[in-house]
Amino acid sequence: MPYLDLYTDQLTPRTAAHLLRRATFGPTQAEIGAFSVPGQTATTAVQTLITNVNYSPTQPVDLNSSRTTTAGLPYLQNATTPAGEYLPYVGANNGDYRTYIKYWWLNLMIQPGPANLLDKLTLFWQNHFVTTAETVNDHRFVWSYLQLLRTNALGSFRTLVTQISKEPAMLKYLNGDMNESGVGKANENYARELQELFTVGAFDVDGNKNYTEDDVKNAARVLTGWKYSNYTKEASTSFATTFTSTKHDTGSKTFSDKYAYKSITSPATAPPGFANVGDYELSELVTMLLNHSQTSRFICRKLYRWYVNPNVTAAIETNVIIPLAALFVSSGYQIQPVIEKLLTSRIFFDEVNIGAIVKSPAEFVVGLYRFYELAVPVITPSVTTTVTPVKATLEHLYGKMRDQQLEILEQPTVFGYEPYYQTGYSKLWANTGTIVLRNDLANRLVDSYTVYQGPLLNLNPLGRITALQPDFSGFAATPTTAAPSPAPTTAAVTCVQVLDSFLLNLLATDLDQDQKNFLIDKIMMGNQAPRTTWEFEWNLYRRTITYPSFYSSSAITNAKNAVNIRLKNLMKYLLRLAEYQIM
Amino acid sequence: MALPVALNGFGVKALAGNSTLVQSLLASNAPATDRILVIVYMNGGNDGLNTVIPVDQWTQYNALRTNIAIPQSKILSLTGNDATGLHPAMGGMRDLYNDGKLSIIQSVSYPSPDQSHYRSTDIWMTGEDTTANYETGWAGRYLEDRYPGYPTGYPNAQMEDPLAIQIGYLTSTTLLGSQQSMGIAISDPNSFYSLVGAASSISPDYLPCNSTCDAADLISFIRKQQALSVGYATEIKRAYDLGVTSATYPAAGTNSLADQLKIVAQLIHGGLKTKIYFVSLGGFDTHSSQVDTDVTLGGHATLLGKLSAGIKVFQDDLTLQGTADKVVGMTFSEFGRRANSNNSKGTDHGVAAPMFVFGSNIKHPTIGTNPDLISLVASTNTNKDIPMQIDFRRVYTDILNDWFGAGVPKTNSLLFRSSLNALDFPTVSLFSDTVETLKTGDWADRTVWSVGRKPLATEFVRVNAGHTVTVGAPATVRNIKLDGTIKFTGPYNLKVTG
Repeated sequence: MPYLDLYTDQLTPRTAAHLLRRATFGPTQAEIGAFSVPGQTATTAVQTLITNVNYSPTQPVDLNSSRTTTAGLPYLQNATTPAGEYLPYVGANNGDYRTYIKYWWLNLMIQPGPANLLDKLTLFWQNHFVTTAETVNDHRFVWSYLQLLRTNALGSFRTLVTQISKEPAMLKYLNGDMNESGVGKANENYARELQELFTVGAFDVDGNKNYTEDDVKNAARVLTGWKYSNYTKEASTSFATTFTSTKHDTGSKTFSDKYAYKSITSPATAPPGFANVGDYELSELVTMLLNHSQTSRFICRKLYRWYVNPNVTAAIETNVIIPLAALFVSSGYQIQPVIEKLLTSRIFFDEVNIGAIVKSPAEFVVGLYRFYELAVPVITPSVTTTVTPVKATLEHLYGKMRDQQLEILEQPTVFGYEPYYQTGYSKLWANTGTIVLRNDLANRLVDSYTVYQGPLLNLNPLGRITALQPDFSGFAATPTTAAPSPAPTTAAVTCVQVLDSFLLNLLATDLDQDQKNFLIDKIMMGNQAPRTTWEFEWNLYRRTITYPSFYSSSAITNAKNAVNIRLKNLMKYLLRLAEYQIM
Repeated sequence: MALPVALNGFGVKALAGNSTLVQSLLASNAPATDRILVIVYMNGGNDGLNTVIPVDQWTQYNALRTNIAIPQSKILSLTGNDATGLHPAMGGMRDLYNDGKLSIIQSVSYPSPDQSHYRSTDIWMTGEDTTANYETGWAGRYLEDRYPGYPTGYPNAQMEDPLAIQIGYLTSTTLLGSQQSMGIAISDPNSFYSLVGAASSISPDYLPCNSTCDAADLISFIRKQQALSVGYATEIKRAYDLGVTSATYPAAGTNSLADQLKIVAQLIHGGLKTKIYFVSLGGFDTHSSQVDTDVTLGGHATLLGKLSAGIKVFQDDLTLQGTADKVVGMTFSEFGRRANSNNSKGTDHGVAAPMFVFGSNIKHPTIGTNPDLISLVASTNTNKDIPMQIDFRRVYTDILNDWFGAGVPKTNSLLFRSSLNALDFPTVSLFSDTVETLKTGDWADRTVWSVGRKPLATEFVRVNAGHTVTVGAPATVRNIKLDGTIKFTGPYNLKVTG
């Protein structure tokens, strides 16, 4: 099988939808259309997804309407804030501001702008270099951390590893700030996770340990002395990572055979190009970690599981992971070439990998909102903006994802969300508990549902089929008592057309004719009425809408309910299908 | 040389055979088929040394962790065990211990311990050796053996209820069978029922790609989850509505473990036949600030307080309900923490830590002995890791073999061992009054005894066939049965109190 070879086929709606489901949080119909026009290939599509990236979207704004002077305005930095500084820290608002960063990111996942791959990839890195907002606490730290990941998501892995090691949020989350020289003063938390989770991984594919317990201790020694300033300090306008040489272990650190007995020594003064000794030693440490033969494979394997298929066979390891890892190394640990290679590869588009992942709550919830283009109020930075509906909508989305076990920026442990590392992988998203929550959300949206203080959310099956009906209001004559049922000038959309329109680009895999018949006869027609009954009911509905004065109000209501209940039942059932849970 | 044993008028032989005194194995009146296990996962690696505190070595304990050591006067003392105490937040579990309903199993771990959260959690949940890499959970394998073919054909007349329930939304590796989890996850029985709604028609079972691709596997998996949620919702709701809780639980939302255990108690009381429940309490990864300025307070104290209060109220509830006889609970955490604290008022990943088993059927309040802190202090190793005394699979063995009645060969095979006649992971006598020998050796050698310490004067003792125990000092036991041999190195008395 040609694994990493370029997939050169013209993209079809099916393959374009596959790419968009995996590289973003799910497509709209318009995006599927645009990505499958003649001339679109994997290469052009992936380039578009990269070109569309916006690294500096509008900053988060205060969404609390009771703060009348700041509601709707940015709270981190504004036009007059000096570069690298922040607006004065207000502890009383910190909890809100932290939450609004999560909402801001969620809003980017829904992508008010053109389709791009940045935030799906940023979520990968955030779930890789985990810190949680709750533990980090200071919202500026959370912001700085998220910006680091987002800005470098396609950039250099070396930069990510180096910077994350000094990032205040990470120093706080994994206790790097408490790691000092001196007997009993080491804190090995970060040094361990740096190796086990962030770079080399715990084991190679044969089950051999990739590092030793002494390597953990020695890495901790290299990393002694880093602190941060102004943590949750009232009225402070900046914070920084600092290096305290007196807290740094200046002894030499020799690693095991796993790292070719690498020795890192502490120079008396910082070598040229380094701000301090700590930076120099960190650079040596990162070089050592990236030189470990398993690091590139560990990262590429995780990317493959994220984008292609959680199931990594021996053949995939040999033919995809190893060559991709070689590309990662030869490109100097640049991330973008690896992403491009993977997302344009034949293995990515291979039939066996379509539908091979259970949607995460983000892909399910955000994907649902995007696919049906539900109205999410737009944040526009202005004190006059009504922030309440924005906040209410994002709070609602956030809560639904949290209940389904993906709480943004709040992983349960440093390992990330369980379905990305635990046996079973994406299957873990779907169990008796979460499946019913997914059904519940879909049911509410089909029935039309008003978020408290927010917008009306409605998948609007009736409106969609009305739009599908050619010349909805065309009749041969006006109804009269003598001739109450004039014939329409266009035939009613059939059950088959209704089902086909609902299924358009909805599912990753196909349904067979038995299933389609089941959906029409058992679900839409309720196992009671023939398909022609639908056409009769639909034409009656068209007449009641077109000539309302001819009908009693109850007749109008009854006609609408008759068709609406069938369409709602069908759409609810489609969104409950196991097939809809995968991508 | 071996001396005949006939002491205080009690001939050892008189105690052989069918004597009721020694026939107290499995004293629970509940048939093994009705028994229930509740697993409490302490996520993050619990600091065992501030949980179960060796008061007999307080000076060494304090020296190892001056910045987080609990003052001697604040440690809760235990009836009949002067050497050991509990964290001051654990009043509830102290009461259970003093009531004979809590067993402390000291220094539990496994050979070649791993200090990665993920790996060590996996080892505890699968029950595998450090060198192995299996993908099924120990409890999942047990349930799969007992209910073959699950979930196809379930629920059914023989087992209309879920085999296992995890309170929450994800199911643990512990409950994984070879194909999928043997348990289901629910967060709240009422909302579960209303969300599932009425059973709907089952659609045709077409699978894409001729059932050969991962998509087909996932679709089929999800359909089974859907069918199970529909199939079990009514039974869970029925049991939940029928059940009541009789003890006073902490206010909802203040103790997540108590909240979870309250649901479990109500389901048990309502007659749900589920065999295994899994609940968890997170936050034990205390690398920093595990104590406040008042070292008896802080993050770790809060967690232990929740653990203790949750387990106590649950056990009280079972007693009031009259279901205590068929329920046993156990706690576990992926590893303990180092004996020496770090400078951040925290502790780094370590090795062994105590486990708790609770219920009215446990027979020995303490299994194993306090860790030897004197040697740890003296050691030149800067990692003061507490070594293993008891392999955790010995506890699993007693649960599988004695509590669930799986039998010796099956218990062994569920734990990846193969002996047909002897337990590969020897008993710790969790459910047996009798302390038995595991090997030949000195009376004073703790590794000779199933309970990991010398027998107490209140305990029945059996020297197993083929074993010779050498008595080098006077000893007292409740009674002794000799299938093996006892040797005395001098004129010592082995006193039997009857």
